[in-house]
Amino acid sequence: MEVEGKGGEAGTTTTATRRFALPVDAENKSTTFRLFSVAKPHMRAFHLSWFQFFCCFVSTFAAPPLLPIIRENLNLTATDIGNAGIASVSGSVFARIVMGTACDLFGPRLASAALTLSTAPAVYFTAGIKSPIGFIMVRFFAGFSLATFVSTQFWMSSMFSGPVVGSANGIAAGWGNLGGGATQLIMPIVFSLIRRMGATKFTAWRIAFFIPGLFQTLSAFAVLLFGQDLPDGDYWAMHKSGEREKDDVGKVISNGISNYRGWITALAYGYCFGVELTIDNIIAEYFFDRFHLNLQTAGIIAASFGLANFFARPGGGIFSDLMARRFGMRGRLWAWWIVQTLGGVLCAFLGQIHSLTWSIVVMLIFSVFVQAVCGLTFGVVPFISRRSLGVISGMTGAGGNVGAVLTQLIFFKGSTYSRETGITLMGIMSIACSLPICFIYFPQWGGMFCGPSSKNVTEEDYYLAEWSSKEKAKNSSQKFAETSVSERGRASTHPQT
Amino acid sequence: MHPFFSSKSIFLLPKFQNSTMTIHTLLFASLLIFSFIHSCRGGNKDRLFTELQNLIEVTTKPMQDGVVLEAGKDMVTVKWKLKSSAKVDADATFKTIQVKLCYAPISQVDRPWRKTHNELLKDKTCPYEIVSKPYDKTPQSLDWTVELDIPTGTYFVRVYGIDGDGHEVAYGQSSDEGRTTNLFSIQAISGGHVSLDIASILFSVFSVVSLLVFFVKEKKKAKLEQRE
Repeated sequence: MEVEGKGGEAGTTTTATRRFALPVDAENKSTTFRLFSVAKPHMRAFHLSWFQFFCCFVSTFAAPPLLPIIRENLNLTATDIGNAGIASVSGSVFARIVMGTACDLFGPRLASAALTLSTAPAVYFTAGIKSPIGFIMVRFFAGFSLATFVSTQFWMSSMFSGPVVGSANGIAAGWGNLGGGATQLIMPIVFSLIRRMGATKFTAWRIAFFIPGLFQTLSAFAVLLFGQDLPDGDYWAMHKSGEREKDDVGKVISNGISNYRGWITALAYGYCFGVELTIDNIIAEYFFDRFHLNLQTAGIIAASFGLANFFARPGGGIFSDLMARRFGMRGRLWAWWIVQTLGGVLCAFLGQIHSLTWSIVVMLIFSVFVQAVCGLTFGVVPFISRRSLGVISGMTGAGGNVGAVLTQLIFFKGSTYSRETGITLMGIMSIACSLPICFIYFPQWGGMFCGPSSKNVTEEDYYLAEWSSKEKAKNSSQKFAETSVSERGRASTHPQT
Repeated sequence: MHPFFSSKSIFLLPKFQNSTMTIHTLLFASLLIFSFIHSCRGGNKDRLFTELQNLIEVTTKPMQDGVVLEAGKDMVTVKWKLKSSAKVDADATFKTIQVKLCYAPISQVDRPWRKTHNELLKDKTCPYEIVSKPYDKTPQSLDWTVELDIPTGTYFVRVYGIDGDGHEVAYGQSSDEGRTTNLFSIQAISGGHVSLDIASILFSVFSVVSLLVFFVKEKKKAKLEQRE
C-alpha cells in the first residue's frame, strides 16, 4: 500500500550528506508511506513503534477476557473489578503527559523503550497476585505502558511529512490499539492451551500472563536496537554534535498548555478513545453475563470490537488526509466532528438492544466509527503546535485516558447503572463532548464555521509566533511552516484545478 | 449505492417506489423476524424455580464442623432421598438426579454474575455440579471432595430431579428457603506457586537491568560521536 503526498518523486533522494530510500521533504521527513517496506529510518520506525504499542495494549487489557476466572480465584466483587478497570487507564493519564515532554527532550526511541521495559514487571507480577488489592495494583502499573501511544505519534510526526502524517499516525496508532482486541482472543486461547497441558484453572491464567510480558520486553529491545529518533539520527548523537538545538523545558510546556486547541482535542479524544478503552474493559464480561455465552465466544465477540482497529483507525487518518487535500484543515475538522457525533449515536443505540445478533451488528458498526474518530483527531494534532508537539500529543493522549477514567467512574462502577444503561449514557456524553470541536480555529486556515483570518495570517506567522522575539526562531519551525501550506486545501494551493 | 442502514428504510413505512426498496424492506423484515425468533429461542415459556416442588430431602455434613473447608483436600458428605411427606409416585417422572453446589446469599453480594433468577435458564445460583446420575429410589449418600476450581465462598447443596426431557421437575436443598441455615464455607486454592513467583522476579529484573545496560551504551556512543 502506498500513500502519495505532494512533492514525492519515486526512487531515492539525496540531501547534502545522507541518502534515503523514500522521497523526503525539507526536514528529511518522508513524503510517502510504503506499508510493506522496512527501509531505514522512516518505515522501520513505523513498524517498530506500532508493534511496541500493540504489545503494551495486549498487556494492559490482558485481564478483562480472563475475568470470569480471575474474579473467582481472587474473590473479586463487581466494585473491585470496576476499580481495577479505572486503575488500568488512570495510570497513563499522568504517564502520557510526561511522555510528551520526555519525547521532546530524549527522543521517542529511548522514552518509549524505557517506559515499556519498566512496566513489564507489573505484567510479570500479575502471576503472583493473591487479593483484590494486588489485582488493582498490577493493572494500575501495567496501564502506564499505554503512554507509548504518545511516543508513537511523536515518532510518526517526526518521520512523516504533512500530507501523509495523518495516515502514518492513524495506521501506527490503529495497529497499536488492535492489541486491545487481539488480547481478547489471545488470552483465552493461551489459557486453554495451558490448561490442556495440565494446569488447574487458577494456575493456568497466571502462567498465561508471561506471554504478554515477554512480548512487551522483546518489542522494547527491538526499538532500542533497530530504531532511530529522527531521519537524521538519534537525539543523543545530535544533541552533542550541535545539530539538534536544545530547548527550554518550561517554555515548551507553557507554550503547549496555553494553546486552547490542545484542551479541546483532549476533551474530544476523551470521548472517542476513552470510549474505546472503556469498551475494551467491559465488553467481554458484558457479553458473557448478559447473553450467557462461554469464555471463548465472549472473547471472540469482544475481540471483534478491537480488531476493527486494523482498518478503522488508519481509515480515519487516511480520510483526514484526503479531506485536507481537497478542503484543507477545515475539511479535517468537519470530518472529525461528524464521525464522532455519529459514533456517539451508535453507542447510545447499542445499550438499548436486547438481542445478541443486533448487539453484535451495532457494536461492529460503532467500533468502526469510534476508532476512525481517533484517527481523525490525530490528523489535526500535528498542526496545532510545532514547538510543543510532544506536549500537545501528550495532553490529547492523556485526555483520552481521563475520558476513560471518568466514564468508568460515573457509569460502570459497582451497580448504580446496569451495563446497558451505562453504555447508552456514555454515547450521549460522547455527543456532547464533541461539540467543542466547532470552536477550533486556525487563523491561517479557518475553523468549521469561519474561513481564514482576513488579516492574511500565514503558516509562518502562526508557527513562529510560538517563539518570543528574544528567542532564536528555530529552523525546524520554519521548515514545518513551509510544508504545512498544503493545509489550505486545493482551492488556494492549486488555483488552476 | 443504497446504504442498508440509511434512516429512511428503518424509520418510515416503505413506499414501494422501485424494486430495490422492496428488496431492502423484505430483507429488513426478515432480519427483524429472525432476531425475534432468536430472542425467543427456547420456544416454550421460561421454566421457573418457584414452579418446582420441594420433594427431596438433602443433608450435608462437612468433614469437620465449624471449619473452613479447603478446596482439593476436604470432603463433604451429601445425603439425599425422597421426602417421607411426598405422595407415593411423586418421583415417577424422575429419570436423573443432579446434585449441585450453590452460593449462599452472602457470597452473591456485589457479584451480579452469581445472581439468583427465578427463570431456571437464567439462574446463576448453582454453577457447580457435584454429581449427576440416574435416579435411584433408595436413599443416596456421597462423599464429595471439594474440587480444585471451586472459589472461596459460603455454600449449600441443591438436588434437582430431572425428567426424561432434561427439565427439572422437583428439587431439594440442604438449607432453608432463605438459604441462611446449614451453610458451609470453602477456601479456594490460591493457584500460585513458588516457581511462578521466582520466574516473575527473574524476568522483571532482566527487563530493568537490560534497560540500564542500553542507557549506558547510548551514553558511551554519544560521547564517542562527540569526540569525532
